Order: sequence, then C-alpha cells, then structure tokens
Amino acid sequence: MPFFTLPIDADGPILNLVVAVTEERIEALTKAGQPIPQPQVIRAMIDTGASHLHIDPRVFHALQLTPTGQTTVNTASSGDTPHVADQYDVAIAIPGAAQDHPPLILGTVPATTCDLRAVPGFNALIGRHVLNNCVLIYNGSSGVFTLAY
Amino acid sequence: MALETELATYTKHLPEWREQEGRFVLIHGDAVVDFFGDYRDALRAGYRQFGLEPFLVKQVHQIEQVQFVSRSVDPTTPVHLV
Repeated sequence: MPFFTLPIDADGPILNLVVAVTEERIEALTKAGQPIPQPQVIRAMIDTGASHLHIDPRVFHALQLTPTGQTTVNTASSGDTPHVADQYDVAIAIPGAAQDHPPLILGTVPATTCDLRAVPGFNALIGRHVLNNCVLIYNGSSGVFTLAY
Repeated sequence: MALETELATYTKHLPEWREQEGRFVLIHGDAVVDFFGDYRDALRAGYRQFGLEPFLVKQVHQIEQVQFVSRSVDPTTPVHLV
C-alpha cells in the first residue's frame, strides 16, 4: 500500500490535489471539437468534518465545467435550513510524495461547490467520501500526517 | 438556477421511485432517461447521449441526504459570480 507522510501545516493537514475534467466529459468535449481544459493543481485540506469533496467554484470555472448534479449542504453557519449547492463531476489525483510513489487517482467523483475564499491557504476540503479510499493517520504529537491508499 | 427543469422532474417523480432507492437517475429536461447502480455509469450515459447539454445525475433518496461541512463557508456562490 503506497503512503506518504507530510508535516501538518499551521492550518491543518494540507496537500496538493490535482483536479481535472473526467474521462467521460473529455469524450464529449472531443466529440464537440472543444479543447480540453488543463488540470488544476490546488491546495486541499484533509477535513474529516466534511462529508464529501468540496471545491472552490473558481476551480470549476477554470475547468469550464457545468453542474451535473445538485445537493444540500449543512455548514457551521447554515442554521436550520441546509444550503442548496451545485455538484460537478471531476477526476482527482493526490500525487505521491516521491516520484516512484503512485498517486491516488479517483477517476470520476462528485465534487460540491463551496466558496472557500474566506479561508485562505487552500481551495478544497477532502472529506470522508474520498478518505473512504485511504488510511489516514494524524500524528499530532509529531506534527505529521500519513495517508496510505 | 442550473438544472431547474431536471430538478423539478426529479421532485415530481421521486414518490414513484421507492424501489430505486440508492440508485443513480439520469434526467435530461423532463425526460427520465434511466437508472444506474453506479455514479460513473450514469455520467457516462449522460455525456454519451447528451454531450455538453445540461443533464442531471442524482442518487435517489426518498429523504434527501445532506452533506456536511464543519466550517462557516458558503456553498451557494454560483460559478459565474466568482
């Protein structure tokens, strides 16, 4: 099982995340004669308090995506009524720490839009829906976290 | 709002879909195209049949499943406003 260990940032466990257009959408773009947007490399926080993958809308905009779903989201500020949020299909990869480490690749996953401009330092929250594919060890006393997949 | 017609179609037909609980429905406009056991299969069918036109893939739940973010963030900002 490949794994890597990274230091815990002042804001928490943050790593690089590659977000790209799904294979299914690439097929449709190619058929329509449209260019394939370049994958986006962003900073993402591992957040076990998030149920799913939540990405800032600027990333979807850069990938020229249109929503293919909609869901309801409860945040710390939602109150009694959950927000309604658009969902997009994306492909994601978490690069390994070394070049000979295979990345964690999830070819087609739903990602929910979440405006993260108010929390600088990262553009996505990697929640439990993605972490279900991994083993996460948060070693707070040593200031590192390990992700195995 | 994006996918307004598709969401209205979903809401209209949801009470009839008790046996489809947990499966993924593909909706284009007011047409219910099919149900799939897997999110990826539903998306593939959507892109193959409708290309870049709007379509909705949604997991069927009689009680809407709510996602959680334990932060004070706004999930509603539309992409065109960022």
